[in-house]
Amino acid sequence: MVVNVSNLSPRLRQLGLVAVLFGAIPAGLALMGGGYPFQVGITALIFVTLAVSLNLVTGTAGLLSLGHAGFFGVGAYAAALAATKLHWPFLLTLPLAGIVAAALGVIVALPTMRLISIYFAVATLGVGEMIHVSLLNWVSFTRGPMGIRSIPPIEILGLDLSGVIGGYYVAATVAALAIFAVHRLTHSYYGNALRSLREDDQCSAAMGLNPVRLKIEAFAVSCAIAGMAGAVYAHTASFISPDSFRFEESILILAMIVVGGLGSLPGAVIGAVLLIVLPEVLRGIGDFRMIAVGVFMFLSILFLPKGLLGEASAIGLARRQLGAAWRGDIGAGWK
Amino acid sequence: MPDIFDAYFAQQVINGISLGLVYALVAIGFTLIFGILNVVNFAHGEIYTVGAFAGLLLIVGAAPPLLAVVLLVMAVGAAAGVGLERLAFRPIRRFSDEASLKSRAMREATLLSSLAVSIVAREVMAHVFGGEMRIIPQAALLQDVITLGPLTLTNGNLIIFGASVVMLGGLQFMLYRTRVGLSIRAVSNNVLGARHVGIDTNRTIVATFAIGSSLGAAAGILVGLYDGNIYPYMGFAPGIKAFVAMVMGGLSSIPGAVICALLLGVSESVATDFLSSGWKDLIAYGLLVVTLIFFPQGLFGHGRERV
Amino acid sequence: MMADVLLEITALSRAFGGLRAVDDVTAEIRQGELVGLIGPNGAGKTTLFNLISGFTPPSSGSVVFRGQNLAGMKPHQVSRLGMARTFQNLRIFPNMTVFDNVSVGAIGALGYGLGQGLFGGAKRAGEISARAWSALERVGLANLAGELAANLSYGKRKYLEIARALATDPVLLILDEPAAGLNDTETAELAHFIKSLHADGGTILLVEHDMGLVMSICQRVMVLASGAKIADAAPKVVQADPAVLEAYLGIDEEEDA
Repeated sequence: MVVNVSNLSPRLRQLGLVAVLFGAIPAGLALMGGGYPFQVGITALIFVTLAVSLNLVTGTAGLLSLGHAGFFGVGAYAAALAATKLHWPFLLTLPLAGIVAAALGVIVALPTMRLISIYFAVATLGVGEMIHVSLLNWVSFTRGPMGIRSIPPIEILGLDLSGVIGGYYVAATVAALAIFAVHRLTHSYYGNALRSLREDDQCSAAMGLNPVRLKIEAFAVSCAIAGMAGAVYAHTASFISPDSFRFEESILILAMIVVGGLGSLPGAVIGAVLLIVLPEVLRGIGDFRMIAVGVFMFLSILFLPKGLLGEASAIGLARRQLGAAWRGDIGAGWK
Repeated sequence: MPDIFDAYFAQQVINGISLGLVYALVAIGFTLIFGILNVVNFAHGEIYTVGAFAGLLLIVGAAPPLLAVVLLVMAVGAAAGVGLERLAFRPIRRFSDEASLKSRAMREATLLSSLAVSIVAREVMAHVFGGEMRIIPQAALLQDVITLGPLTLTNGNLIIFGASVVMLGGLQFMLYRTRVGLSIRAVSNNVLGARHVGIDTNRTIVATFAIGSSLGAAAGILVGLYDGNIYPYMGFAPGIKAFVAMVMGGLSSIPGAVICALLLGVSESVATDFLSSGWKDLIAYGLLVVTLIFFPQGLFGHGRERV
Repeated sequence: MMADVLLEITALSRAFGGLRAVDDVTAEIRQGELVGLIGPNGAGKTTLFNLISGFTPPSSGSVVFRGQNLAGMKPHQVSRLGMARTFQNLRIFPNMTVFDNVSVGAIGALGYGLGQGLFGGAKRAGEISARAWSALERVGLANLAGELAANLSYGKRKYLEIARALATDPVLLILDEPAAGLNDTETAELAHFIKSLHADGGTILLVEHDMGLVMSICQRVMVLASGAKIADAAPKVVQADPAVLEAYLGIDEEEDA
């Protein structure tokens, strides 16, 4: 009954993932009664996208970012404003959101990447808060705490995807593309270069890698993906306000990759699904969502330093170095 | 007109100093702990909240004099700090061997675990006390108006000023004139060296948490009574501001953190002349980013080893 | 024969506060040489090394490598010019496999960008992989390619570091105290290995504390004491130099005799 996934060929695994994401899960959600389950599904997929993007910069490259929700928010507002004021369609607002978020990421990264790692964490925290304060107070542009209403639903080349099922498929496509892109990056020699930065960036520089450039690139890609997740959120929720992009959301995303295992791509996906779906399942108990997030994060740091999908054989190692990568095979990509 | 403006300006500076002293009390806790463990204690803002709620419960329950409230709150804060160290810091430290006491892995794991504990603490307080603000008995508030020429102060301004100066002085005395202070300075200078000369590092770390947390908790209750607001999320903003002050001050310099905290408090307070209050938070983050770009070692920092 | 000179150090100094860690050092290394750099503890060997590889900027003087002045260059730029180094206190990437560790050297030298990572780059990947495997085979770690670097023994980690440096295909290889922490047998094996690298045409600068190793394999030995170069000659000549003897016997214990 148990299928060892790691024994399947990569192509087969990809097909399986696509089948589950686009076939089995929607079917299951439909059986659960449609509307609300699909909405939870969309939220989960948006956070899968966010967790996967944060995993690239925090898990693989080892840069702790505490402001990821800010870039998510910038993407959401860019898409919402372009859609409501300029009447751009989703196919244009999606890349716009990515580009705006990435550009902001580069602006943040340029001066801070040369600094020691804790400063980067502090700077991202500061920038995340600056974004939140700006969204809240720049009323003439963002409408402040009232948020932006009636963001048009998604329509792609005449195909109406305004319902929850359409929204689900769009969110699933974006999440799948994000997973694919981050998988390509982390399982190539580019991923090895980023991992070497996490381990010892001075040493990587001595090997001819340019740490500043690599870090900025990784952060820009990560911000671009987060921005696109924001566009999906804006169009599927049709209403956004600064409250959705606070420090707490940044921490939620961070908790997802910590629970799943820093550096592990499947871990990020599972962590995101777990921390979104579990509170929904446990709704009867009351609104203990953030408590659950905190407890989960704490327990996984304490007892599963490598997260849910870490290598069980390497406990001693895990205790010495928190963020180890999840690797099935020995080397990268092509051999 | 200029006279009125000047008086108003002076008023804002005085308010800013009170605010800055509060940030300073919180920042000292951060700085002490960072100095000794090279770790950012993300749960420090929650200690501030715990202090405020502990004080509120005391006032509602027994209405002791203010001095007793502050001293008891400091005791509660110290206890909370020790508990925090036990829960979020020590288990992870035990994983590491002695040499890696300040290793990067430990720093990351500890940062995340203190973050996790802070979320749990804040949310539990929100569930227990309710998310909204609590009513504080009128008599306990530090809002009696004192008029000094053109300036209108409250007794809260003066009490915060006096209490902070006393606590800062006490801290300085403790760090430079007592055995505990000596071991704290020794461990933050060189953990292994301190161990070799027979200093119990664990006990020193616990003492550091107790001292830093008691100051943070005292700041919490003073601000709560001064502002008239005590709520579960109140620790977040001062926590971040204090954190900014610590970074601006150079991460491990207590005088640096205090000066930067005052700078931050005064700039925020004066800026309300020019900006709507919503934008005021931007000043701290703006100063932070400017400091990081132009003074990577902080304004008062010495070149630290690369981490 | 100026064309032969690979590395040219002119009047190089570096002061830390009042301490002149490296004081007016002039030296050169020619293509195909195996040169030793020795000196008692605190003589400034590591500082000189960091000056050469771009980790520390000099207070004055210049370093010219392959005809290019290294002033203002970042470590990665120096590395791409063909200078590879190992670290005194073993700096491997512990949570990466042996193969991936070595691949970083090849990635640094050949380059592997974001675009290649996203959209394929199979040709470059093949080159990186081939180079990493050949470096691994050169040091005899190919059979451990899939092992996590943290699980290797101390001695094997030394070879891993050398393999990672070799994967950059260096013109000049600088080894920083490779024999530190090795026993006599291991040091002898290392000596044999370094000689074989040299025999294959490599130019090597060996920074060492262990005088025995340097004297037995190097063609030329430079001696540093209190930041200044006090000798630069064949091992036999250096061994007989009174100034060298004084620097070593005056400051250090007998272990290096």
